[in-house]
Amino acid sequence: MSTASPSPAAPYRIPSSLALAARQFPRHRLALVGFVCLLAICLAAALAPWVAPYDPVQIKLGSKLKPPSWEHWLGTDHFGRDVFSRLIWGGRTSLSVGALVVAFAFTIGVPLGLASGYFGGRVDNLLMRLVDAFLTFPPLLLAVALVGLLGPDIQNVMLAIGLVQAPILARVVRGSTLAVREDVYVTAARALGARPTRIVLSHILRNVMSPIVVQLTVVFAAAVIAEASLSFLGFGTQPPQPSWGRDMSEARRFLADAPWMFMAPTGIIMLCVLSINFLGDGLRDALDPRAWRTRRRLADGEG
Amino acid sequence: MGRYIARRLIQVPLVLVVVSLMTFLITRATPGDPVQIMLGMQTSKEAAEAMRKEFNLDRSLPEQYVLWLGKVVSGDLGRSIRLNDPVTTLLAERLPVSLQLAAAGMAFALLVSIPLGVAAALRRNSWIDYLCTGYTVAGFAIPNFGLALILIYVFSIRLDWLPITGIGTAEQLSGGVWTYVKPFIIPAIALGMLQTAILTRLLRSSMIDVLSQDYMRTARAKGLMPATVVVVHALKNAMIPFVTMAAIQFGYMIGIQVTIEYIFAVPGMGSAVLNAVVNRDFPVIQGFTLVIAAFFLFANILADLLYALLDPRIRY
Repeated sequence: MSTASPSPAAPYRIPSSLALAARQFPRHRLALVGFVCLLAICLAAALAPWVAPYDPVQIKLGSKLKPPSWEHWLGTDHFGRDVFSRLIWGGRTSLSVGALVVAFAFTIGVPLGLASGYFGGRVDNLLMRLVDAFLTFPPLLLAVALVGLLGPDIQNVMLAIGLVQAPILARVVRGSTLAVREDVYVTAARALGARPTRIVLSHILRNVMSPIVVQLTVVFAAAVIAEASLSFLGFGTQPPQPSWGRDMSEARRFLADAPWMFMAPTGIIMLCVLSINFLGDGLRDALDPRAWRTRRRLADGEG
Repeated sequence: MGRYIARRLIQVPLVLVVVSLMTFLITRATPGDPVQIMLGMQTSKEAAEAMRKEFNLDRSLPEQYVLWLGKVVSGDLGRSIRLNDPVTTLLAERLPVSLQLAAAGMAFALLVSIPLGVAAALRRNSWIDYLCTGYTVAGFAIPNFGLALILIYVFSIRLDWLPITGIGTAEQLSGGVWTYVKPFIIPAIALGMLQTAILTRLLRSSMIDVLSQDYMRTARAKGLMPATVVVVHALKNAMIPFVTMAAIQFGYMIGIQVTIEYIFAVPGMGSAVLNAVVNRDFPVIQGFTLVIAAFFLFANILADLLYALLDPRIRY
């Protein structure tokens, strides 16, 4: 058989849904920007000892409350510490809390949501009433109360925010599970005699993964803001450790003299959350095949 | 309808019992003894014992909870260990403050989101639509305390137009409406920003949805004035999900005020819970969370009722 003609022998590999989504993602320009920004913030935080120009906690009273300059890009605070360096180091706390909360919410929320949605009945009723009860607490107040009771410690901050976010994720997963539970492939798997665990893990979970991923970006953004709020109120990171929220709280006393002290952390929190939100939007579109066609038609003629 | 309301109302005490049980367990399971915090380390054992007895803290946990619940049913939320005042008295001081702040935040959210959402939907892909998108995107990303600091910096420090701390009090009303409203402006904007973003986005999309309906074309074809078409036919229908969401969000607003109360030194519910948590003031924590949760639940029921009231198609 000639190689030129489209031959049945040359197998056409159907790209996996993940590969398709990966190809789709960069088309969402804002999402790409968000991804790059987030990556930059993460890298800066991870490589803080090499990236940060100054020691974030070393006190230099000689150079306190200096406005932004070539030496100190974002100025210095009331102890003469470099604001830019503190932002980079503070990112470690915020981002690791965000990541841990995502992991926590995933391990708690997803199994609960799957069980609730798939088995329904009494399990569902019990779990969802519990979720309802959790959600009647204002999220921030609940987190503050938990950290206040457990003690201001980064693990407790993570735990408190995670406990607030997990029920929300569970509810999202439950909703999506309910939607696919009666799909044909699930019925088929059941007819073939697959056990419930297998159906849930290999058929349902796969198909509710995209709402989960999108919701996890929401969880991450919420966690970053919640951590900053807790630290702002004095319930999170303790001084002198750098923290976006805590530094803003300190900056309150120098609003008139050193506005860069509160503007810098506010800006970085916004940038971080914006990036995550754009990333989430992009993932939502990339993971939803129904959204592709319209975008493709709008963007260009490529097939 | 009546049956649906009744069913929802019956659920309220049930959820509240679960909520209070959770609060109870969390407060008791975590370290920290209110009596020790209150009396300090050097008190005699007898004094500590007496105080424990006074607040039933010497009893077993199930007993403590049942005693507390029994009193709550008769309207008694107990006494604060720290301040020695009845919790209901504290509530009477704090709740009106929080309600005013929440109302101010919601007023700002409505004032901005309705015109902005409608204008963006009417002029899609125009500068006002982009402004709307930018505004909502920013509103979702900025932490309310960050926004509060920016506003204080610009309007209180640089321009010196608005006060730095506090919110309006009833006494200020005698000095005219403006003296009362003025201190609310910054806290209201900071508090209501997120709700503004949520509501604007919702109204924009439901407006767009309604504008593409057949009855809109009919209304225009009948020769009605464009303003009438927009307000009477479009806005009225687009407001249905909007009003529901506004009610739900209002239920949230008491609980998310903590940071705003902290910045502006406002004695609201949030800061009371904060202090109570630090001092392990169990009766206050339990009483206040109960009220906040109840407020949230009723706001949700109200949202459902409004939904049915505004949309005759909905029957419960």
